[in-house]
Amino acid sequence: MWYQDSFDVIVVGGGHAGTEASLAAARMGCKTLLLTHNIDTLGAMSCNPAIGGIGKGHLVKEIDALGGLMAEAIDHGGIQFRTLNSSKGPAVRATRAQADRLLYKNYVRNYLENQENLTIFQQPCDDLIMENDRVVGVSTQMGLKFKGKSVVLTVGTFLAGQIHIGLNNYEGGRAGDPASQNLADRLRDMPFRIDRLKTGTPPRLDARSLDFSVMQAQPGDFPTPTFSFMGKQSDHPQQIPCYITHTNTQTHDIIRSGLDRSPMYTGVIEGVGPRYCPSIEDKIMRFSDKDSHQIFVEPEGLTTHEIYPNGISTSLPFDVQMNLVRSIKGFENAHITRPGYAIEYDFFDPRDLKQTLESKFVENLFFAGQINGTTGYEEAGAQGLIAGLNAAQRSQGKEGWTPGREQAYMGVLIDDLSTLGTKEPYRMFTSRAEYRLLLREDNADIRLTEKGRELGLVSDERWQRFSEKLENIEQERQRIRGLWVQKDHPATEQLNPMLKNPISKDANVEDLLRRPETRYDDLMTIEAFGPGLNDKQASEQVEIQVKYAGYIDRQLDEIDKKKRHENTLIPGDFDFSKISGLSNEVVAKLTEARPETIGKASRISGITPAAISLLLVYLKKHGLLRKSA
Amino acid sequence: MSESSLSTSHLETIAAQATPPGRGGVGIIRISGPLASLVAEQVLGKVPAVRKAEYLSFRDENQNVIDQGIALFFKAPNSFTGEDVLELQGHGGPVILDMLLKHVVSINKVRMARPGEFSEQAFLNDKLDLTQAEAIADLINSSSEQAARCALHSLQGDFSKLVHQLVDDVIHLRMYVEAAIDFPEEEIDFLADSKINNDLKAIIASVDGVMAKAQQGAIIREGMRVVIAGRPNAGKSSLLNALSGKESAIVTDIEGTTRDVLSEQIHIDGMPLHIIDTAGLRESPDKVEQIGIERAWKEIEQADRVLLMIDSTKEAGDNPKAFWPEFFERIPQNMGVTIVKNKADVSGIATGQTLEHGAPTINLSAMTGEGVDLLTAHLKECMGYEGSTEGGFMARRRHLAALESAHQHLVSGLDQLESFVAGEILAEELRICQQHLNEITGEFTSDDLLGQIFSSFCIGK
Repeated sequence: MWYQDSFDVIVVGGGHAGTEASLAAARMGCKTLLLTHNIDTLGAMSCNPAIGGIGKGHLVKEIDALGGLMAEAIDHGGIQFRTLNSSKGPAVRATRAQADRLLYKNYVRNYLENQENLTIFQQPCDDLIMENDRVVGVSTQMGLKFKGKSVVLTVGTFLAGQIHIGLNNYEGGRAGDPASQNLADRLRDMPFRIDRLKTGTPPRLDARSLDFSVMQAQPGDFPTPTFSFMGKQSDHPQQIPCYITHTNTQTHDIIRSGLDRSPMYTGVIEGVGPRYCPSIEDKIMRFSDKDSHQIFVEPEGLTTHEIYPNGISTSLPFDVQMNLVRSIKGFENAHITRPGYAIEYDFFDPRDLKQTLESKFVENLFFAGQINGTTGYEEAGAQGLIAGLNAAQRSQGKEGWTPGREQAYMGVLIDDLSTLGTKEPYRMFTSRAEYRLLLREDNADIRLTEKGRELGLVSDERWQRFSEKLENIEQERQRIRGLWVQKDHPATEQLNPMLKNPISKDANVEDLLRRPETRYDDLMTIEAFGPGLNDKQASEQVEIQVKYAGYIDRQLDEIDKKKRHENTLIPGDFDFSKISGLSNEVVAKLTEARPETIGKASRISGITPAAISLLLVYLKKHGLLRKSA
Repeated sequence: MSESSLSTSHLETIAAQATPPGRGGVGIIRISGPLASLVAEQVLGKVPAVRKAEYLSFRDENQNVIDQGIALFFKAPNSFTGEDVLELQGHGGPVILDMLLKHVVSINKVRMARPGEFSEQAFLNDKLDLTQAEAIADLINSSSEQAARCALHSLQGDFSKLVHQLVDDVIHLRMYVEAAIDFPEEEIDFLADSKINNDLKAIIASVDGVMAKAQQGAIIREGMRVVIAGRPNAGKSSLLNALSGKESAIVTDIEGTTRDVLSEQIHIDGMPLHIIDTAGLRESPDKVEQIGIERAWKEIEQADRVLLMIDSTKEAGDNPKAFWPEFFERIPQNMGVTIVKNKADVSGIATGQTLEHGAPTINLSAMTGEGVDLLTAHLKECMGYEGSTEGGFMARRRHLAALESAHQHLVSGLDQLESFVAGEILAEELRICQQHLNEITGEFTSDDLLGQIFSSFCIGK
């Protein structure tokens, strides 16, 4: 039977991607349905209870800059906050927080339930309803059909999941939840390219059985950083420390002795796991010269005793897990509350997606999250938001939008996925971003909020505060540019001790701030220069913009250079083999990747500038050369 | 308003030699793009009047006059490419033109044009008829293939070793810097220790070495290697002497006179060529001669072109591939071979150039000098002097330009590290440095870098 109402946007899945997707669509005024197999797991953190980190923190700030939820939720659910790389430059600084699973999840669920335009319904989604090459709705396990103008699939690990503990394995999503077998089977019948990935988790421990006194405590930063542009320290719940301990040679011996029953090393697992998040057995085999590995002992929350020992992800048999855990300092009497496991799952080749995350094969169908081969809540949330906003635009008959590589880590993420695909669960790193100095946590709002406002994603309150900040920055930069000092100016008495070389010629305060050794706050203590801005977000921005100016300009130049054919479209059904002069290898690569634009084509490994030239000449000759909007 | 509100347009300015290198008395450097007028100011001291030929001095970055010639300026869209175009027509040989080009591409935001890029630009800007698409595609194809061949030649010997070592060192350094940035929780904060600083200094020192050599012209003038090979007493040494105009090699009528490799540099239209004389190839019981023959083979394998000398009094008219299959089996695939039939004065065959059995063949007499000019002209042709704008010089200039840019970024990276302790800026300088080096050795992506990091350090919670 058909459900009585029809929707603009239907989001299938209530994880981090589904949450951001449905909220984005609803914020944009679309009548939105969030279809989940279990309302009680909305916003659940299925892996380690933490948000942010290098590259990931950047994504969270970008989600926030577009009015998304993740930053706000972790501000209310975080129990230990740190700024990573604080000793390094602002571009690579990143916020990370340990989360209380329950607080986080409850915040998300509460937020979803109160979102205007959003309907939540609990039923497993079994099928897509198609009209030719277009999706027009979904149907559920009990045969209920929902009509929707666009559909976002965010079904994560639940697609044909296979859980491994030792040589035993069984079907499942995250431990304790069923896998979406019916939907997986249905999608396998469609023309998508499907492959398999693998990931894993460590055994969880009971805090009461651990000896924290022999571990190194790792407290959060004080004052605690916040994630959201609108966040306050008073949003944070009680703060508690994490701990660090290490594996030892005995641990490693135990692991080696169990390898004959490891699904990884006996070839039972075929999926490819991430290079950067290896299981403990992998670490020991690949880096046999290291006789100790770090373990971060992370509390799962304020109201639970469960501990997430980050660093010993494993799929070894339970008896080996037990022994290896108990060989670790502080874990001698540990009680395992849940065994570690590896999970294999399906993902869809993201090269079959457009830049908007819409399928190239099925109109109005969008994919976001782990289904696209990524890992991590932040990567999922970022895609969810972009898919959600594009599904919303589509349902309203408007142009799609995805930030470019020069605008956001979100842009890097989606461009990497849709252009290059991935062979391992894709995780964000700052080294993936060629414009890293521009893509900072501190300017996520400046990069994205204006566009977010235009799309209808940003609330009045945020927009007002953002506009105020921008104005403060602009006025302050003008002010300090107009403040001059000369060699004999009375201010030099206070100023010169702050400088490596005392000033020898006239300089304005902006010049002074450009010097590596000066700080804005220090300069403002000088009577002739101060008082500075009270708006700390704005003054930080002034300082960074001035200090990085040369590098920012250079990156902007580099971006300009690449703009030339970046958005020149290649027709979707283009036959690359028609271009004479292209080598077979180049034709094969282009055919496999199906780049939407010349810019994307040029980023495919092995595509030479000459090949791009030939492509351009061919498109021109056949009158196909046009820029996207 | 913000750094993210980006302007569009603002295309690149490209420059290259527009005439076939070495041919004739005039060489043209063409510059196309928005900075063409800026280039004019820097090289000529003024922007020439639009579409008016002006006779001016061409200056280098130190204001020294390199050459004098005609300068022409075309304003967009009324130019060959549809962009602002400056043409510098000098009469210097390749070395002078190279100096001029070097100055032009050292100007900020001006880069070397890719092979065929001017024509491509003209085509895309509706300056050429659509029916010329095939011709343009062919041009892009053939000239980039030739460029690739020239680049390969440019990358031989010591230069190649230095460049590859440099690339490896930069990758290694980046691995440490990027790992420290992306994995601060992994107890691998290399930025804090002195290793990176020391490594960086060592790399800069080694680039300094290469650059110094390049400055002296040692590398740029290295030239192409033409190896004369053949049976004993075919007249190889006589040919060397005839080409170089000197008595470099001892010539006798005794087989096996030349026992070691002799090398002589000659210039054709100012373009240097290494002519290498080798021991005659034969089975020899003589130990010293055997070593000479092995060396001869080594030279042949590294050559840009082999001149196979044949004594026309003994072997005229036969197909060399038939009577000497071992030679053709042993030479590297795709090696250009020219058959030189010597002693035309004795055998009485007519001097001249023909194509026999698929190989260019030149009949001459090294003794009398008759026909040697044909060989010189032929060598010019082989060296990419004709028919293409991408000669060996261009390839080497590309490589040196890339190396110079890489050097600049290494130096400012070191400065950033020492005065700011700014790891992320050092990382940025190294990234750009690598981009320049990639132009020489091929691409190295951020994913490749991550792969290196993950295989070198145990990373991951």
